[in-house]
Amino acid sequence: MPSSSCTTDPEANGVPAQTPPATRRFWHIGFRRRIQLWGVAFVLPALLFFAVFKYGPMLWAIGLSLTSYDMVSQPSFVGLENYQSLASDPIFQVTLLNTLVYIGVSTVLITLIGLALALAINTGVPYARHCMTAMFLTNLMPVIAVCLVWKFLLHPFGPITQLLAPFGAARIDWVTNSATAMPSIIAVTVWRFAPYFMVVFLAGLLAIPDDYYEAAQLDGANAVRRFWHVTLPLLTPVIFFVVVVSALLCARIFLLPYFITGGGPGSATRVLSMLIYDTGFSYLKMGRAAAISVVLFAIMMVFTVLQMRLFMRNERMLA
Amino acid sequence: MDRASLKSTMSPRNVTRRDVVTGIGAAGVGAAGAATLGRRASAQARGPLTVTIWTNDDPAQTAWYQKRAQLFNAANPNIKVDPQRFPAGELGKKVSVGFATGTAPEGFLTFDFLMPVWLDKNLVAPLDVQRLGYASIDSFTGDHPPAALSNLVKDGKAYGLPTWFHAFSNWINLKHFKEAGLDPDKDAPQTWEQFGQVAKRLTIKDRDKFIRQGGKFAMHSPVWTMIQFNPILLQCGGAWFDASGKCTVNNAAGVRAMTIRASLVREYGAEDPADSVATNPLPMMDWLRERTSMFLVHPVHPNAIKSQNPRMFADGDYRAIRYPGLEPGKGYATTYGFVLTVNAQAPKEKQDVLHDFYKFFMAEPLEVWKETAPFAHVRRAGGWQQDPVVTGFPNAKWLLQSREEGVALPRTLVFNELGDAMHRAVQKIVLNNADIQASLNEAAAEVDRATAAYRRA
Amino acid sequence: MHYRSRIGRWIGLALLAALTVAFVFPILWMVTSSFQAGDKMFALDAEWIPSQWHPENFPNALSRAAFPLYFFNSAVISVIVTASNLVFCTLAGYGLAKFRFPGDRFVLLAILSTLMLPIEVTLVPTFLVVHKFGWINSYQGIAGPLLIDAFGIFLMRQSIISVPTDYIEAARIDGAGELRILWQIIVPQCWPALAVLTIFAFRESWDQFIWPLTVVSVDQLRTYPLGLVIFNDDYGTPPTEQMAIAVLATIPVFGLFMLLQRWINRGFGLSGLK
Repeated sequence: MPSSSCTTDPEANGVPAQTPPATRRFWHIGFRRRIQLWGVAFVLPALLFFAVFKYGPMLWAIGLSLTSYDMVSQPSFVGLENYQSLASDPIFQVTLLNTLVYIGVSTVLITLIGLALALAINTGVPYARHCMTAMFLTNLMPVIAVCLVWKFLLHPFGPITQLLAPFGAARIDWVTNSATAMPSIIAVTVWRFAPYFMVVFLAGLLAIPDDYYEAAQLDGANAVRRFWHVTLPLLTPVIFFVVVVSALLCARIFLLPYFITGGGPGSATRVLSMLIYDTGFSYLKMGRAAAISVVLFAIMMVFTVLQMRLFMRNERMLA
Repeated sequence: MDRASLKSTMSPRNVTRRDVVTGIGAAGVGAAGAATLGRRASAQARGPLTVTIWTNDDPAQTAWYQKRAQLFNAANPNIKVDPQRFPAGELGKKVSVGFATGTAPEGFLTFDFLMPVWLDKNLVAPLDVQRLGYASIDSFTGDHPPAALSNLVKDGKAYGLPTWFHAFSNWINLKHFKEAGLDPDKDAPQTWEQFGQVAKRLTIKDRDKFIRQGGKFAMHSPVWTMIQFNPILLQCGGAWFDASGKCTVNNAAGVRAMTIRASLVREYGAEDPADSVATNPLPMMDWLRERTSMFLVHPVHPNAIKSQNPRMFADGDYRAIRYPGLEPGKGYATTYGFVLTVNAQAPKEKQDVLHDFYKFFMAEPLEVWKETAPFAHVRRAGGWQQDPVVTGFPNAKWLLQSREEGVALPRTLVFNELGDAMHRAVQKIVLNNADIQASLNEAAAEVDRATAAYRRA
Repeated sequence: MHYRSRIGRWIGLALLAALTVAFVFPILWMVTSSFQAGDKMFALDAEWIPSQWHPENFPNALSRAAFPLYFFNSAVISVIVTASNLVFCTLAGYGLAKFRFPGDRFVLLAILSTLMLPIEVTLVPTFLVVHKFGWINSYQGIAGPLLIDAFGIFLMRQSIISVPTDYIEAARIDGAGELRILWQIIVPQCWPALAVLTIFAFRESWDQFIWPLTVVSVDQLRTYPLGLVIFNDDYGTPPTEQMAIAVLATIPVFGLFMLLQRWINRGFGLSGLK
């Protein structure tokens, strides 16, 4: 990857450029500094927006986790009581575990399958573009329709079981058996999101200029080596995006699992987003719901920081 | 740029502290909170007085609200009653957020079993029953079946106006009965044992797969689980809570009740709880599609039958009969329904308008019946239930009577937690074949934790 | 990577087609259900192709509630939100991708952190903020919190990172202003990402449910997901009509996707993926 070549910045050696005095005073902050400020300026509108619409509410919610709040009266401070009671709550423990499994497995599968699909589309097969369009539809259907359809498809004697009938399956309790319920929900999640990230990967693949592949081919690299040494490194920023975003999406997802299993059977598919919803709006314990949210927040924060460490090293090489 | 300066702009950053930006947001929210929480501003002096009512979304009921509102507004030029409808599942959430932000409506509809919470938080105003047209609180209570009042009346005052209330019945498919050689009149089950045995006879299986289940319990929502289990528990002499507030669903009576509940699957082999195409929009789908011969459900709207099973609709070969009990003829079900309330924080003049509108709204039960049958207002008054229009409607007589005989859901501040705990327990018991006592113990423990936490969090 | 052999191509197509079918068959079922008779839906011996087509499900469904109005509202909101995201996410993404300033990594984390707190607990305070602006029951109120999405910023950042910095440096030396660099160098190189961002922003705002539910309490401002839920309370409406609305709701996003597809390909001189 070509690195930034030396440019001829007249100020590089500390010698001021030959500019008229008036403008020189204006640019006295220096070339580099000015660029830094432009960077800040570009980011500022978003930050201001978030300050009002996101950070304010987020801080409020985090503060709320230290209170007891039923939405209809004023919050009252209770310190760390919510967290203590969560720590000893078996339902919370099960839900936390379920959530970690759910996010972990789904993210890995979505990333791998999304990438595989994108690579498949990017090969020279005819009608690949049509396949991509068709698959992308899975992400476009309104969630309520997706819920209804999947609840039906996952019926023990439903269409999917019927498709597997030739292999001897008469009845498969996809979501009515504690052991298979979570894998089924993960499968539906992957179904919903992988094609979307396939398109994102595709956009990334398209951005890789052909010269690199040709150069590698000239060097005698076969397809696998080309993939490993050209495609993958150049896709790193996109992979970073997909991993983090799919994890965040899985952490937030609510309606799809809620509708299909409601968290059941028992608590087999209960995830934190459902617990937060029930605790806050059903039981009117917003303070406790906020505490659960903070736990989820912390998990996602740790995850994202780890990903940043992992991926941003590579980014330096690209820019 | 030379390498040196390049490096400096790309050197590891010094973390700058977040600062003012966050503060602005927080201050903004704080100011907003302080200004808007609390009492709403009083109504404006000029222009029509607008009173908002938030209700749920049943289309027939919605139409009735709109009709009555139009007539009322026409008769009272300075007043505008504005009913707004929301999906039933979301209404509670919207109302809570409304209260949290000071934008709650003047009147709202609620499930009767949620009334204890609104009451406990002083969000609903006591009704002036005289303004509603009753001579006294006694004539008010006399106008409604006891189950409908159970969660509304406190210290001699009524805090909500019951509107549509229903009771569950056993809806049976007469065609299946006849096919199985059963007489719908003589063999219709009255006890739980008979229910199981009849269901067994009505079941058709193809090896392990049910072609037709004999009977079925709805499994798709905690509220349904509660409604269905409530009468069984009470019939067995059990109770949801004891005098000290501890959950007693796991005592001997509770285990007996749950055994009855699970018997359809475990003992009689007449039900497959996992095999259901019911969803929230159409909970009685299995019965409508004749995949089950008997189903415990609220009144079934003819439109549902017509749209899902035109043949059954045309032949009319179905019937609603008494919910099973422990002894013949002594069965009863849960009566539950919707209650109109008055926001305690609304200004007095708007509360008065609400009373007038509510009175007008409830004034013609017969007309309501014509619009929304088989769902009806729960008032007794006026002899409307003897009108030929009503008595001529299939099953109407029994449906109205079942409301009178039904029992209310438990009056508790943690109804939703209780429902969720019971729902999970039932799922474990019938889907995973879990031990009944152990599952009920877990459920009771959960409910006790919730009760303890109610005040805390 | 391009397969040269003909056989390889067709085998590849067969595999791809199988995958596609696997992903798509639930959607096919949805679409055929929308044309199905009301009593045939949810039958376990399902008819994958309706024996009788019922296109009247569509006008029937549309007349159940003010759906044309709801779709219009959704469209207005989505256009506003998409446009806003395109502008501001690109700006912020560029700033984070190509500018090194103290705290820039922290800023990225802070931006991503806006995605980590579930919406349920921020509903009330967000509502209060919107209420303070007087935006309850208005287009601004619904669109407001959606105008800039951290996902979009992240997406643009990751895409812009791959643009070679030389071009930018060279343009700076030539005296080009930062905005001109953005407009003439960065944006043309990011067509695919901008297209993805457009789809993504449009789709997110188009499907919004919880936020419009919270901030809207008058019928005229409902978006179509709020309308869709009424089918859950109506015992007489065939569920096939709910499917019909769902299918209708897919069309605008799908149309947008088809449109943008062509742009992506044109932007790279491809007439079809090679």
